[in-house]
Amino acid sequence: MASHEITPTRSVLMELKKKIKLSQSGYKIMKMKRDGLIIEFFEVLEKARKMRAGVLSDYETAMRKITVARAVEGDIAVKSAAYALKADPQVKLGSKSIMGMMVPKVEIAESLHTNITEKGYGVISTSTLIEEAAAAFEKLLDTLVRAAEIETTMKKLLDEIERTKRRVNALEFKIIPELKDSERFVKFRLEEMERENTTRLKHLKKKGEAAE
Amino acid sequence: MQIAVIGTDEFVLGFRLAGLRRVFVADKETYQEKMSEAMSDSNIGILAVDAKDLDFLPTNVRTKYLDSIQPVVVPVGGDESDLREKVKRAIGVDLYKTEDE
Repeated sequence: MASHEITPTRSVLMELKKKIKLSQSGYKIMKMKRDGLIIEFFEVLEKARKMRAGVLSDYETAMRKITVARAVEGDIAVKSAAYALKADPQVKLGSKSIMGMMVPKVEIAESLHTNITEKGYGVISTSTLIEEAAAAFEKLLDTLVRAAEIETTMKKLLDEIERTKRRVNALEFKIIPELKDSERFVKFRLEEMERENTTRLKHLKKKGEAAE
Repeated sequence: MQIAVIGTDEFVLGFRLAGLRRVFVADKETYQEKMSEAMSDSNIGILAVDAKDLDFLPTNVRTKYLDSIQPVVVPVGGDESDLREKVKRAIGVDLYKTEDE
């Protein structure tokens, strides 16, 4: 709000004072929220870094195992075991709140590990190599599900931090200074009017006395 | 919610072995199409992708997918450059930097 668009009246001044007070308390709260979010973020960051490394190492192990299985047993054997599987792992998505922000909480609905008798392919006809590869991928999947939760939390936290930071900065450097500018303008204008009035009255008084 | 996987035939085979049923096989040409199909499926909660395959997508699409919350896209086997970039933008400091860099 540019100061020249404001009508310099007492009610406007009161309104402005109220607005400044509100913006300042809002600014304080926003700043606290930002700091709180950053503290939360640092906690998640460590976890996320470990998780990524975990996913990577699990992935490499799993890939190595499946490559060995494919080399020894042949592509078709591995594929047929994979297609014969009956399991269908499900996850449950819940949510929890961090600083009033909802973040997902991923829960594994049923165990990702399928019992060997429930796999759907013959135990005797498939080799241990395939079995090992399957176990390695089940482990990878487990890590992946946990990584998904932490990464989403982190992404959401980062978004919220960015948003809050922008709001804090807007309040601090734009809205509050502009309101204060307007307040100063109205105050000076009112004082000026007061002075004008006094001189005018004095002038009139002098004129009246001269007429008598 | 289901877990899904998208990638080359080799990549998805292992996940099939772990019991995943929502599998999208895609190569370089069909990747973007399959990816958008997977992203628009509301039954999918987590989507595992091969980090290398993400290079097939245009940068803006890739960022959009990686930022997605529902489903969550988890890159497998890649480095942390996507998260690193985000952290750098939001916090203003490169927190992933190690001492030897």
